[in-house]
Amino acid sequence: MELVVSKIQKHYAQVTAIKELSFSVKQGEIFALLGPNGAGKSSLVRMLTGFTQPDSGEITLTLDGEQFSSIPSYTLGYLPEDRGLYPEKSIIKNLIYFAQLNGVEKKIANEQACYWLERFELLDRKDEQLKTLSKGNQQKVQLISAVIHQPKWVILDEPFSGLDPINQEKVVLFLSELKAKGMTVILSAHQMAMVEKLADRMLLMNLGEAVFYGTLSDIQQQANSAIELSAQFSQGIDNEKSEQLLTQFKHRYIDDQSLMITLTAKESMNQLLSTLTSIGELQSLQSKKMDLHQLYLNAIANHGEN
Amino acid sequence: MQSSNKLQQTWLVTTWEFMHFFKWKQEVISKLIMIGIALVVLLWQYIKDEQAPHYTIAIHGSDIALSNSDSFTFITAKKPLTQLKVDLVDEEKLNAILSLKVNEQGVSELTVLSKDKQAWLADLQHNLHQQFSLIYADNLGLAPEQLMVLKQPVTFKNHYLDTAIKADDSPAKTTAIGMILLLAVGVFTSFGQLFISVTGEKQQRVTEQLYSRISPQTWIDGKILGQMLHALKAMVTATITASLGYAFATVIISGNPLDFSMIDWTLLPWLLLFAIAGVYLCTAFMAAIAAAIDDPNHSAKTSIMLLPLLPMVISFITMDSASGWALTFLSYFPITSFVAMPVRMSLIELPIWQPILSLALILALCLWIRTAAARLFKMGMTMYGKEPSMKDMLKWTFKES
Repeated sequence: MELVVSKIQKHYAQVTAIKELSFSVKQGEIFALLGPNGAGKSSLVRMLTGFTQPDSGEITLTLDGEQFSSIPSYTLGYLPEDRGLYPEKSIIKNLIYFAQLNGVEKKIANEQACYWLERFELLDRKDEQLKTLSKGNQQKVQLISAVIHQPKWVILDEPFSGLDPINQEKVVLFLSELKAKGMTVILSAHQMAMVEKLADRMLLMNLGEAVFYGTLSDIQQQANSAIELSAQFSQGIDNEKSEQLLTQFKHRYIDDQSLMITLTAKESMNQLLSTLTSIGELQSLQSKKMDLHQLYLNAIANHGEN
Repeated sequence: MQSSNKLQQTWLVTTWEFMHFFKWKQEVISKLIMIGIALVVLLWQYIKDEQAPHYTIAIHGSDIALSNSDSFTFITAKKPLTQLKVDLVDEEKLNAILSLKVNEQGVSELTVLSKDKQAWLADLQHNLHQQFSLIYADNLGLAPEQLMVLKQPVTFKNHYLDTAIKADDSPAKTTAIGMILLLAVGVFTSFGQLFISVTGEKQQRVTEQLYSRISPQTWIDGKILGQMLHALKAMVTATITASLGYAFATVIISGNPLDFSMIDWTLLPWLLLFAIAGVYLCTAFMAAIAAAIDDPNHSAKTSIMLLPLLPMVISFITMDSASGWALTFLSYFPITSFVAMPVRMSLIELPIWQPILSLALILALCLWIRTAAARLFKMGMTMYGKEPSMKDMLKWTFKES
């Protein structure tokens, strides 16, 4: 059971939302879609759910021997980007209604709702109107409504938005539990630290195209063409002089004795070394593994330049 | 997905939609108020009957002899007017003073002096009018029967060569008019609620979550059925209220036996079928338009939702020529036939195939419009914030893009 996306394209009027995009999502994994606003993540998600169809290319999912061109609704749990429930209705009524729409019996829906509400410390408020909850707590109810029917496939568009760091951690645990229950989770997010903790594999998108795709280490390898180096000098450096010498290298200052340089494949290490020694007495030069946040920023910057 | 699951989902959306606007507290309170008013009227009538009011009227300045009735006793006063006014202040002795003067044309001018304005003064005026008519008739040498002929010299009856046209006082006409009024009640109810419900869900961003669980067709079917149930509930409530009002006015206030002979019971099942089809049609149409509205505060499409009221207005206008081509055409045209055919049926005798054909055409339109409404909802939703133009909407109703 693998979701295969093959060379899909999507246009809206004159705008190309998705360009020749291919990837696959394996059963039981947490797959992250990353990208800045307007990268095409939501357009992609809407095609995966079957709300819209690709203009070309295809999406295939084989379930129990039957082939689908999107994730079928009876096996899907979905948290859309534009989300909302019925604010005038109670929390429990909202959850039971959405579960019942997915064919869950009322009694089981109630049990499931109570289970998840307890996990999010909202059980004692289950009979209150949804609108009485804070934005963050409403977000938790939205998350519960997406998975209350125990779907095999879960798509969560920005599950961390509107949550404070403590609740973001709770959502990380929530998503881990979904994975443990055998659900396949596709999530789009901007919170790189959360994605780094959670995602088995990821697709980094920009302007409708794939920039990086794979596991975090795959991406780090793919991004090896750009390495980050930490340069430590034995004495304080002359900023004016270093600025003049380092113009061709992307860099930032850590303190008056150290700086970080991003070296791309096109740039020469020898030239960098010679430049650094001209700035001052080099004490150490260390290669640092870029975290996802840094990879993301570099990749988007380089993709934009290209 | 199995059809039984779809039916289950449709029923879930229907009940959710119905209960969304069904407020138990309000329903119970409004019904209790209705029962309370009915009890007050009944009690008031009972107290009134128990007291059996009787009024004494003093005739001042004339020896004319007036007949007493259950409510009024006329006495010829010998006391001076000032003394009579003193008696009037004490209402146990006297309720009114009647002064009589004949003007130059020989018409009696009656003046009634009472302590203050009372409801029974109208009854007294009616009583005096009848008594003086008889007195004048007697003076002119007319028998009471002759007086009756003078009061109503002719009666009218219309007969037509077209024997299919029903009599003017046929109960079918009253039944049809009543049904049209009830339809208007139902359509107005659905209009308001559908508008709030559909645009509200779009504004609250619930639609995409629903769409991931159920098909647009299931959603729109549930909406239509839920609102249709509300429209029918409003119609039943209006019928009960009107019947109660009529019953109280007839039995308790006028003292006549309860009479529902103005209803054509044989026509009623037909009217109900057309009413149900009509409410479905109007609700589906309004749901389709509402589904395409993105922002209710800035959309020009809201007024289009009122179009279903047009057939009712047109049918009322064309009612006077029941055999005319206009009403005949409208009675088959599926957008107007749910009102026009009942109107024709109430005015003229029709062969049974005519209402059956008309009903079949409406049902066909109902089936098409529910599909069109679902397409409009789906396309409107996937445009993400951009409201479709009327041209787009027209295109989608015929073909899903």
